[in-house]
Amino acid sequence: MNLESFQSRILPSKNKLFRFALRFLGSEEEAKDVVQEVFIRIWNTREQMENVQNWEAWCMRITRNLSLDRIRSMTRKQTQPIEESFDIQHEDLTPHESTEADESMNRINQLIAALPAKQRQIIHLRDVEGYSYNEICEITELDMNQVKVNLFRARNAVREKLTKINAYGL
Amino acid sequence: MDSKRLEELLQKYWNCESSLEEEEELRIYFQTHEVPEALKDTADLFRYFGDFKEKNIDHVPLDAAAINKAAKPKAAGKVRSLVYNTMRIAAGVAALVAAIWFVHHELYEPPAPTVAGTEKEPEDTFDDPKIAFEETKKALMMISKGFGKAEKQARNINLFNEAKEEIQEQDAQSSKKL
Repeated sequence: MNLESFQSRILPSKNKLFRFALRFLGSEEEAKDVVQEVFIRIWNTREQMENVQNWEAWCMRITRNLSLDRIRSMTRKQTQPIEESFDIQHEDLTPHESTEADESMNRINQLIAALPAKQRQIIHLRDVEGYSYNEICEITELDMNQVKVNLFRARNAVREKLTKINAYGL
Repeated sequence: MDSKRLEELLQKYWNCESSLEEEEELRIYFQTHEVPEALKDTADLFRYFGDFKEKNIDHVPLDAAAINKAAKPKAAGKVRSLVYNTMRIAAGVAALVAAIWFVHHELYEPPAPTVAGTEKEPEDTFDDPKIAFEETKKALMMISKGFGKAEKQARNINLFNEAKEEIQEQDAQSSKKL
């Protein structure tokens, strides 16, 4: 792989890698570091990677592994920084609506962050990034059945919790 | 999208039976339509997924050139550390040589010229009897001077001893009388 193919094949997936790392780490700075590390790793081993079929899935898998390594080395929970890092702006809303929307987004973010790791990865890959089940199997190294079961549990756990929060304020 | 279709798609979505296209249809619907209160949570969830997808790393200076540059320092680092280690060893060897030279110089080299005489001490006197005589005379004078000093001190001690003996004798005589 030369510089040109690196730019055309690998670099376009940088935002997906960034979001996937962010899902694990919750900190934008650390997610950026992981993406940088992923690219450096790919660039340094580019000669041995000619037979890789799906570059993007392969990059996502490296991102997952490096993010998990980083979590292990830092030994900290993902939920706390994720809450802090959610800073999407809603410019067309009134301050009241904006606050309400932010609260809702933060609440969902917390619910997803509190899911077990596999469920969190899979709901992100499917519902945020729109990957097919086969691609999710390749990225997560799980079989189809495990992927579907985890996705089902993740979606329904979020749904139930949202319903409870809105119904009973829990 | 009518309510029946929406309900059907949502049912498939929650059961993980929807296709990617159907999920995209739901996403677009929730982003572009007002929804009844009962579906507000679901709409928020889909909006959350859409918003999260907007997060990007574009403001980070991350391109192939940067990666290439970032990947290189490892090799440069090896060369740098090799040079650094070599220099450390060379500095150690230089310090050792300097120390040996200094010790050798201090132990084996003749002492520097004396303050009084700008002339050097003669290294050898075998070839010149005159200088040999002068040097011997100087050495003997030094010994003689030393003896003179010692004799003077010995004389003082002797005087003290004599005085002591005399006092002791007087004490003995006076005790006999008593």
